[in-house]
Amino acid sequence: MPHAATLEIRGLSKQYQVKGDTLPVLDNVSLSIKPGEFVSIVGASGCGKSTLLRLVIGLEDDYQGDILLDGHRIVGTSLERGIMFQEHRLFPWLTVEQNVGLGLLNADLGEARKRDAVREHIALVGLEGFERAYPYQLSGGMSQRVAIARALVNRPEVLLLDEPFGALDALTRAYLQQELQRIWAQEGITMILVTHDVEEAVYLGDRVVVMQPRPGRIKRIVDVPLPRPRDRGDYAFAAIKEDVLSEFSDRPRDELIAEPRERNAVEWQFSW
Amino acid sequence: MSAYSSVLTLDPVLPTQAATPTPRPRRRLWSALGRALLAWPFPLAVLLLWQLAATYEWVPSQILPSPATVAGTFADLWRSGELQDNTAISLWRVLWGFSAGATLGFVLGVAMGLSPLTKDYLYPTFKTFAQVPALGWLPLLMMLVGIDEALKIILIAKASLVPIALNTYKGLQNVPTTQIELARVYRFSRWQLLRHVVLPSAFPPIWNGVRYGLTHAWLALVGVELLASSEGLGFLIVYGRQLYQLDVVLAAVVVVGAIGWALDRVLAVIEKRLLRWRVEGF
Repeated sequence: MPHAATLEIRGLSKQYQVKGDTLPVLDNVSLSIKPGEFVSIVGASGCGKSTLLRLVIGLEDDYQGDILLDGHRIVGTSLERGIMFQEHRLFPWLTVEQNVGLGLLNADLGEARKRDAVREHIALVGLEGFERAYPYQLSGGMSQRVAIARALVNRPEVLLLDEPFGALDALTRAYLQQELQRIWAQEGITMILVTHDVEEAVYLGDRVVVMQPRPGRIKRIVDVPLPRPRDRGDYAFAAIKEDVLSEFSDRPRDELIAEPRERNAVEWQFSW
Repeated sequence: MSAYSSVLTLDPVLPTQAATPTPRPRRRLWSALGRALLAWPFPLAVLLLWQLAATYEWVPSQILPSPATVAGTFADLWRSGELQDNTAISLWRVLWGFSAGATLGFVLGVAMGLSPLTKDYLYPTFKTFAQVPALGWLPLLMMLVGIDEALKIILIAKASLVPIALNTYKGLQNVPTTQIELARVYRFSRWQLLRHVVLPSAFPPIWNGVRYGLTHAWLALVGVELLASSEGLGFLIVYGRQLYQLDVVLAAVVVVGAIGWALDRVLAVIEKRLLRWRVEGF
């Protein structure tokens, strides 16, 4: 069983420069994640939740604050931190086993150990028999399973999931959520899921972090003290889901409410 | 992909047989044959028209000899060995010119694709250079290197270099950021990134460039042989015209066309083999 990591985010802020203007994306985000915990992050688009993951994985730097993995500041990308994106990002010229194997390119293992690891992880996501298939021969759900296998094959201490099932149909998504839960329980690693699907967040998470946009910051953290496997039809489940959803049903922001005003012919113009 | 539709249900049982989408091979063979047959009616119609034109002397036979005469001339040229000799010379020139041009073009394309600085230095000049057709360089080159083999090989090399460099450059430019990010997540070194991500990803456009390059090389060869040569298929065309033997001209034209087509076919077959991971268009 791999070691699961503690992830400590302290006072994290990040800005982008857009045409000379400074655009804050994350503002003073602090979050402490225990080893083996499953944390869901929900928020509307533009709340910086994907940026948060890109910072933790190390694809972007230039931030203020601290991101500590087991007490050490993260530097760049690392095989200890795995990520899965919304698109499967498989290489179309490689077969399933080659794609998974590429995750191990820089792993400190012998060839035989690597082969075993690839086989085990393909089995973990239930794709035995598809080792030699090319990505174009797989359905969207199967491709995402390959992506899970590739993300896990290095036995990372923490796995980041950036809306991993966002592009799948509802049935496949429900099934893969179940699968992900099984894998999480089996591997015992820390997982952080970013999603805009509240039900998914509650179904999978030990805690649900609700973020709000402009600039992205944490609004509330909701505990989900339900035993697993969870039942989506359960009353307690529905209550927590309602609770999280209520965070999104504020009255519309002021700038979105248009003032009714007089129109005259001079103002009239084509919208194109 | 109906075979995998069960994945889309909640049923956790997956189809376990290997995933190779095979329309029944027999039917595929027939449809391939059917498509190949479709290539024939048009040239046959042209041949028929040609025959009619010759039979009814719509065009004087000195200008447009009948298909039978051309076939006879072809057989004569073959028996005398003239055709094989000239073809061999032409192919030899293309081989050298194309090899040199392809190598240089690839190196140039990779350099411009990987290093923005190199690109800034070279790209505008390269584009300008590419705008001048190979034959535009002919008079100058004739003065510089004479009219021997070097002239032909340089011009053929130039003709194949341009599309290969351009396509290699564009192919490298268009490698998706998502793939490069993935390589960063798995901590690929620069070389691993090139070897496992950038080159495979850019391979289809690069190979396209190679195919264009070979076609252009063949065209340039015939062009330069027409203008400055005493051997080769292009020369055979000029020679036939000078002697007013249009049957020789036409026989040589047919051979030029057929070899050009065959060269491209060879590359197409290799492509199909190398790019078998690609979804068939339609």
